[in-house]
Amino acid sequence: MNTIAYRADRPEARRVILLDGVALIFHRPSGLTHIVAPPAPQILEALEAGDAAPAMLLERLQRDYDFGDSDDLDAALKARLAELETSGLVWRA
Amino acid sequence: MADNSDETGDQGIAKPGRRHVLMMGGAAASTVVTVRPALAQTAGSIMSCEIPIPDPGRMGNYIAADGSVVPPGTPGAFPPPGRNLVGEEVRGALQGGAPIPGYGYEESQAYTNYIRRLQNGMSGFTCYASIQMSRG
Repeated sequence: MNTIAYRADRPEARRVILLDGVALIFHRPSGLTHIVAPPAPQILEALEAGDAAPAMLLERLQRDYDFGDSDDLDAALKARLAELETSGLVWRA
Repeated sequence: MADNSDETGDQGIAKPGRRHVLMMGGAAASTVVTVRPALAQTAGSIMSCEIPIPDPGRMGNYIAADGSVVPPGTPGAFPPPGRNLVGEEVRGALQGGAPIPGYGYEESQAYTNYIRRLQNGMSGFTCYASIQMSRG
């Protein structure tokens, strides 16, 4: 199991605008705007509870959400985290 | 209506009142598109761009652990680095959590927190934005 913990800026660092199926996130510190689709906003929200490794993050998400495509949640979550890391919205704690 | 007990996030992401199905996507799906402002930047400029801490208008002040600028001598705060930090060393701290070379872990955290708080128009912001954009 991957034990790298991820961290996000505090919510005040982001301005989030919800559009129908996506969210625009303006990241104040970097001045970058990101167009994100689920589950990216939900992952950021789940990180508000504190740094978390993928397994813990998945537990948090599963408290609030059901997952339709349960094939390989772990791999998919790691791929989503890698995207968020590339964007600068999360980083390794 | 009857069930108003859901906690609301403070940043406007609606917490579903009922459990929603969240699609995690396949390993190859992309969920993030970044719109990059047109800042002139090259790999070289990131290596060598500089971030003054604090910005010149507040020289002489200390940096608190959370990155805020506080009066000199404030308990728990750190003296400024005494030189401009260079993009490449800041990148290691921002992206890898490594201390900024030459500084202790806590000092380095304070400086990194200061940098994360930089806003457009402040000295060093363009350098910070370039570092952020150099990911991936």
